[in-house]
Amino acid sequence: MTIAVAERPAVSARDVVKRYGGVTALNGVSLDVQEGEIFGIIGPNGAGKSTLFDILCGITVPTSGSIRIMGSEIAGMPPHHIARSGVARTFQRTAVFAESTVLENLLFGRHASFHHGVLGRIFGSKTFVGDQQAFQARVEEVLKLIGLDGERHRKAGVLAYGVQRRLAVGIALMTDPKIMFLDEPAAGMNGRETADFIALIRAIAPGRTILIVEHDMSVIRQLCGRALVVVDGMPVVVDAPHQVLSHPEVVTAYLGADDDE
Amino acid sequence: MATHFGTMIDRKLVAVSDKNRSGRTAREASYAICSLFVIAVCGYTFTDPFVVTLAGYTCAFALFALSINIILGGVGEVPLGQCLFFGLGAYGAAIGMGKLGLPFDVSVLIALVLSVVLAAIIGVITLRLTGAYFSIVSWGLTGVAMVAATNLDEITGGPLGLFGFPPIEIGPLQLSDPPTYFAVTATILLVAILFLVALRRSPFGAAMDSVRQNPHLARSVGVDVARVRLKAFMLSAPFAALAGALAVPYTQIVTPEVFSVANTVDGLLMVLLGGAQLVIGPVIGAAVFTLIPQAMNLDPNIRILLFSSVIILIMMFAPGGLHQVGVALRDRFGGKTDDDRSR
Repeated sequence: MTIAVAERPAVSARDVVKRYGGVTALNGVSLDVQEGEIFGIIGPNGAGKSTLFDILCGITVPTSGSIRIMGSEIAGMPPHHIARSGVARTFQRTAVFAESTVLENLLFGRHASFHHGVLGRIFGSKTFVGDQQAFQARVEEVLKLIGLDGERHRKAGVLAYGVQRRLAVGIALMTDPKIMFLDEPAAGMNGRETADFIALIRAIAPGRTILIVEHDMSVIRQLCGRALVVVDGMPVVVDAPHQVLSHPEVVTAYLGADDDE
Repeated sequence: MATHFGTMIDRKLVAVSDKNRSGRTAREASYAICSLFVIAVCGYTFTDPFVVTLAGYTCAFALFALSINIILGGVGEVPLGQCLFFGLGAYGAAIGMGKLGLPFDVSVLIALVLSVVLAAIIGVITLRLTGAYFSIVSWGLTGVAMVAATNLDEITGGPLGLFGFPPIEIGPLQLSDPPTYFAVTATILLVAILFLVALRRSPFGAAMDSVRQNPHLARSVGVDVARVRLKAFMLSAPFAALAGALAVPYTQIVTPEVFSVANTVDGLLMVLLGGAQLVIGPVIGAAVFTLIPQAMNLDPNIRILLFSSVIILIMMFAPGGLHQVGVALRDRFGGKTDDDRSR
């Protein structure tokens, strides 16, 4: 299924199919996410939304179909190249570098923008000084955004879960991404952490395109302009979240999958 | 010296308006000069030639431990096959001198270049594997090297190995003279340590640490994980080869036994003993591992038993190695706070 297309979507997928052996995880998904949009991907467990997500950001290679990010085809591009072209993602599990401090985590996130080598570091070359200044400016900005200014020397592994997720967003922000993919960012958060997180995403959204896979419907409702529902590897509907959630097929799918909904 | 891996972050890079830290490079240079002085004093104070030679050999073997730790502490793999490069260095020096009539230094240079090339070829193939698979395959390759060294009689001298070298010298420096041997190996070790400290603080060092901790996340921020692993492997090889070559003036013989996994295990024990997350950890480990049994005049079998027990205790109670024990003691009795330690 295809939605109305503007000039150049930030992320665009055409007829994406993914098979694992005999199992078809995705069966012909197409979508266009416009620049500046916060776009949700939802669906019951096992619907294929995580597979779709991994394919969109280039971690998994689709069986067939094409993915374009900012107009260029990403098929066959190694993940670190995609990352360097302005795409960042967070992970659901193992979201941070647990053994390192908050500051080191953000330093690791800046990797692609460093141009000095070992010798430049020893002799304090111009490149090193430039990198140093750019990093310091950026890191202070990001620390304030994610609200970890006072925790910069703490080990990431000892931070509370909700705080780690904010750090994960901070690591992604260090790459100055145009497009951000967030994989179930609110999973396991309590009410307050979720509210903080929504505020953070709103703060970083201007000038960026954000895609979110999420189970928590209130997050999708509060953040996303549009959401795609995936059921059994097939796209069901793309619309504003409140429209999508009352769609008959979606209601059936959720009722069939989970008694609570 | 902030050579701590866990807090290896470059203070200079992140220090925001903190002027105390801008003199770090100068401080490192002064440490280096002090250490050189200490080396010189040690080399000429201890008169027992055997002890001095053993100290030189310890420095050489510490280089091997550093090589192992580039892989273990750096990218988080257990390089059971690292003695391949150690053996290459040893045989390179021995064949160069004994069979080709080349000077020691030229033979060593050739061996170093070969080790990097060999690491590139092996790394491209084996570094696709991780964890136990990488360790076992690299171990297997040393088995191949041992069989080759045992059977290529013409080149390697077969099972008896190569011995009876001409006087080993680097330019005017006679390595058969114990104080000179010690001074040379200690200086090379010191330069290697300083290089590794700078490396750890460089973007490549940060990339290695990020790959070790979380390769998926590292990839997602633009780190070429396969390339970082390969570069680390290629970097570790000449350290091991240099160690192997510098061991020759002490051993005076090179046999296929250098490719034995026991050799790598010795190096690994040194790393674990000293602490893998500290640049100089392997050096501390090497010193403890070789000098203490010597000083206590231990039987080799008792040595194995003792060190195995110590390693088990360290892994159980202080996985950060002796360094961690030292820091804990200092904090206990020196009144240092946790915050100071992370500086």
